[in-house]
Amino acid sequence: MEQFLYYLKVSLKSIRRAPLPYSLTILILSLGLGVFFANATFYYRLNLDPLPHKSDKLFFPFMNLVPYDCQNCEPPNVLSYSNVQKLGATDIPSAKAAMYSADGYLRLTPQQPPMPVKIRLTQPDFFRMFEVPFLHGSVWPDASARAEVILSRQTAEKLFGDTNVVGRSLTLDDFEYTVSAVLADWAMLPRLFDANNNNHLSEVEDIYLPLETGYDRNYLSNSQSSSFQDADYRKLATDGRTKAIHQLQFWVQLDTVEQQQAYRQFMANLTADEKKAGRHPSAINNKLVGMRDIVVHFNKDGGDIKAFALVTLLFLLVCLFNASHLSLNRYLSNQYEISLRRALGASRWHIQQQALADVLLMASITSVAALLIGYSGISLMNELLPANRLFSSWDWTLLLSLLAVTLGCSYLVTLYPSLRASFGALNQQLKE
Amino acid sequence: MISLHLIFKSMLRRKVVTSLLLVQLALTLALLSNSSLLALQTWNQLSQPTGLDLDNILYVSLKPTSKNLQEYPAFADLLERQLAAVRQMPGVAAVSFTNQSPLMEGGSNSNVNDENNRENNTQNVPQYTVSPDFLKVLQLDVLEGEIPQTIQAWDGESTVPVVLTKSLAERVFPGKSAIGQLTNGGPVAAVIEDFYGQRSAERVMYNRIQIAQIYGVAWGYGIILRVEPGQAKHIRSQIPDVLKTADANIEIFSVRTMDDQLHRMFRNEFGLATLLAVLSGLMLLVSMISSYSNAHFNALKRQQEIGIKRALGASKHSILLEMLTENWCTTVAGAGIGIVAAWLLNQALALVISIPALPVWLPLTALLMLMLCVTLATWYPARIATQVSPATATKTL
Amino acid sequence: MIQINNLSKSFRTELIETQALKNIQLHVTEGEFVALTGPSGSGKSTLLNVLGTLESFDGGDYLLDGQSVKGLSDKALSALRNEKIGFIFQGFNLIKDYSLFDNIELPLRYRGFAAAERKRRVEHALEQVGLAARRDYHPSQLSGGQQQRVAIARAIAGQPRILLADEPTGNLDSLMARQVMELLEQINRDGCTILMVTHDPDQARRAGRQVQIVDGQLSDAAMYDPLQHASPVAVA
Ligand SMILES: Nc1ncnc2c1ncn2[C@@H]1O[C@H](COP(=O)(O)OP(=O)(O)OP(=O)(O)O)[C@@H](O)[C@H]1O
Ligand SMILES: [Mg+2]
Repeated sequence: MEQFLYYLKVSLKSIRRAPLPYSLTILILSLGLGVFFANATFYYRLNLDPLPHKSDKLFFPFMNLVPYDCQNCEPPNVLSYSNVQKLGATDIPSAKAAMYSADGYLRLTPQQPPMPVKIRLTQPDFFRMFEVPFLHGSVWPDASARAEVILSRQTAEKLFGDTNVVGRSLTLDDFEYTVSAVLADWAMLPRLFDANNNNHLSEVEDIYLPLETGYDRNYLSNSQSSSFQDADYRKLATDGRTKAIHQLQFWVQLDTVEQQQAYRQFMANLTADEKKAGRHPSAINNKLVGMRDIVVHFNKDGGDIKAFALVTLLFLLVCLFNASHLSLNRYLSNQYEISLRRALGASRWHIQQQALADVLLMASITSVAALLIGYSGISLMNELLPANRLFSSWDWTLLLSLLAVTLGCSYLVTLYPSLRASFGALNQQLKE
Repeated sequence: MISLHLIFKSMLRRKVVTSLLLVQLALTLALLSNSSLLALQTWNQLSQPTGLDLDNILYVSLKPTSKNLQEYPAFADLLERQLAAVRQMPGVAAVSFTNQSPLMEGGSNSNVNDENNRENNTQNVPQYTVSPDFLKVLQLDVLEGEIPQTIQAWDGESTVPVVLTKSLAERVFPGKSAIGQLTNGGPVAAVIEDFYGQRSAERVMYNRIQIAQIYGVAWGYGIILRVEPGQAKHIRSQIPDVLKTADANIEIFSVRTMDDQLHRMFRNEFGLATLLAVLSGLMLLVSMISSYSNAHFNALKRQQEIGIKRALGASKHSILLEMLTENWCTTVAGAGIGIVAAWLLNQALALVISIPALPVWLPLTALLMLMLCVTLATWYPARIATQVSPATATKTL
Repeated sequence: MIQINNLSKSFRTELIETQALKNIQLHVTEGEFVALTGPSGSGKSTLLNVLGTLESFDGGDYLLDGQSVKGLSDKALSALRNEKIGFIFQGFNLIKDYSLFDNIELPLRYRGFAAAERKRRVEHALEQVGLAARRDYHPSQLSGGQQQRVAIARAIAGQPRILLADEPTGNLDSLMARQVMELLEQINRDGCTILMVTHDPDQARRAGRQVQIVDGQLSDAAMYDPLQHASPVAVA
């Protein structure tokens, strides 16, 4: 320890002798790392798997079961009610749920001012499939229409000032509903069950309504609803159930490879039958997309973060090169002293230990500066690319890896120069 | 007088330092050219013609908060009250309702085709359902035909005449007048000037308008108005209250000028270009620091050499020039690699975002910029180096 | 050729002021070989530096070829130095990173000679000092005496009219020192004026004329040095 303190003191002394090159090295290194941190945060968060143990078992089936004739069309991004009924008419999946989202106004009583809410209209398996935690009450017993809602914890607190509100009633868009459950805190980021239109970047909804009730009460999707037929999308209860109004997502849970194989076969049989019956004029194009691939499936472009990631990585590289260049210069100007000390009996190991002290010192200053710069970078990015706002927070894993990166970079920046200084031919340096 | 040959020799001797510098300069140039390219692209997009008076058209996005108000006939009545209230505001030149705003990424749209020639189909044409004053608000001239003056209801039976923008009319009915022709959405009543509808459309100027009731308000709707020049700010701040007075059961999502709409539409591009510009600035800074420190250390390390040269008859001026030349050589060499790197980066970026191909002049401009920065950064340490006293430097160690 | 009247020079640091040269009076005519002697710290190097325009001076006047150097711009001084004066430093002062050829060529570059001319002169100079075979060596690959010869070659390559040598043999053994001395005498015979600082009385005697500095002043002893009277052109 005492020895280490001595090394630190030597480091500090050599910094004080030439403060400008040292601070420039730190500045450059923390600029590179800060910019990298800011981007790495988004990159890490956006690519985080919200259900790591399960995401390989969840699938979204797509098919071209639409009334138009198109020979090289991609299947639509959303399904119709009858699509879903057909895709769900099997026992192969361990769980299955159709869903969509809509906007509504929530009140405790009709006289109160409205509270705008996001609604997810779905089926009971949704909560099992995505492991949504319940605080009070339980999920609807089946998928049929019922005037019962499930509230997020926040919504319950905002509306009732309490979470234990199972059985109480509320008014949603002028209709009365009973609360059948309240969720515990739940944030699925990114919420991969709804990745169309970059919706996976949004927060989860405030309130859950049975899908059938949503159709009965004419809730139109707030994300995408496409009609491929002469149909009145204001009449979801009738036209919505029978005609080609597409607005649903549909997820199935297929636990084993056999199940997945069986479901693919099921889809193939289904589309073949439909084609035979003349209801599938387009070319058959079935897809069973896993949850891990769903973002790519929906967002073929939109690589802003990726592009920026590429560029920031290059920037970090530049800064690393630059910082090592600077510190090489610094060491070279110190070389005479190092050689002198080696001549006085310091071993290479001593010199390396000295370098280690340098590294630690540099890493600690740099990480503070880099975190500051990273924080401002994140604020700037939130300002400029607000869509990714939810993905800008730091957790311990991230923070620790960032610190490790800093340490690694400081080491790299110091390593080569110190090696060069300590392995250089001794007599030659002294002679110069 | 200055020997490039000697400069290259001295660069080669400091292999590691020089290659670090070269790599860094190359990357900087690559990044600088590509981010300028993106910034240019965004700027071009923002300044492309929209056919609209960006500053004096306001769009209020709103929605009734009660189910009752969201449905006809209550909704029609609400619209009437709202339009009347806005029309009375001083400084408002014209006002209309509309299901959606122009200048959007995407929105309500449908395919349009000639009923007699369905093969020629145009997809994703924005469809507007508006009151007759919509054209007055946007100040669009009628080129052919006449704008229907009554707001049609959707009864499911009678067809609603359509108004097409000029470019769409030419697309759907090439080589003939569109007036009276039948589209899949109804007969063409008029052709109007082009304006920017939705970015995701086949062409941004393709638009279809119907003077009709708003079909449904699940996604909200809009009140669009034109104000007298200079009034936008004032009216923008007043209008929420005016609308709330007409009926309190509404939620107002936003009040924007068309200019805001345009900027929102390119928000991602703008954001990315800004970020890249910031990054380019940082890169230039880093290059300057590295040129500075390189020259600084060089000056320190080669004090004796410079002193000897001075003693042998080099003027201060030629020492300065020599140091600058050395840095210029490095910059040009780095930039040479950088132009290749810029091209590679351009290809890589094109895989994830839409970015045009790199024009030749851009990396060259970036090179000039880099040269300027490098020169500025080298100047000071090089000047210091020239101050070396030859008498002191040549003294025996 | 060189006329110094009443020249004085002092160094100022924050703490002390050192009067390095006081009222120096020195005239050197073309073709002379002057040895400058004196105790350490007496101001020999300073005088040489002033003569070589490497250092400015405070009082008095310095005329080189009848032209006063006072008030000349840096550019003019550099050109003057480059054309008329050759330096041989006590510490060789070769540029480590350059080959012998590049080192010798350097002042010719500043002079603006064309490449062919430079090459001719460098090779000639190298031959004169007997190092023609090693033109691509680097200074660190040479012995001290060889390095000093390179320094001489560099100094004479431009055929300067004046050669200023500061202890050119200080670092060399006596054999080497003699060789260098002979080389200088040869150069002097070819018409070059030489001012040489030396501690070696033998060498001093071999010069045409001896001047001694003590405490920044040309000492009286020098005036009465018998050798001075023996020298063919004595100007005091
Ligand atoms: N740059 C300087 N700053 C301050 N004082 C100086 C400087 N250069 C020389 N001096 C002082 O001027 C005086 C003369 O120095 P100079 O180098 O001319 O001596 P010298 O006769 O060449 O001695 P030596 O024989 O040891 O080389 C000395 O006292 C020295 O300390
Ligand atoms: Mg001396």
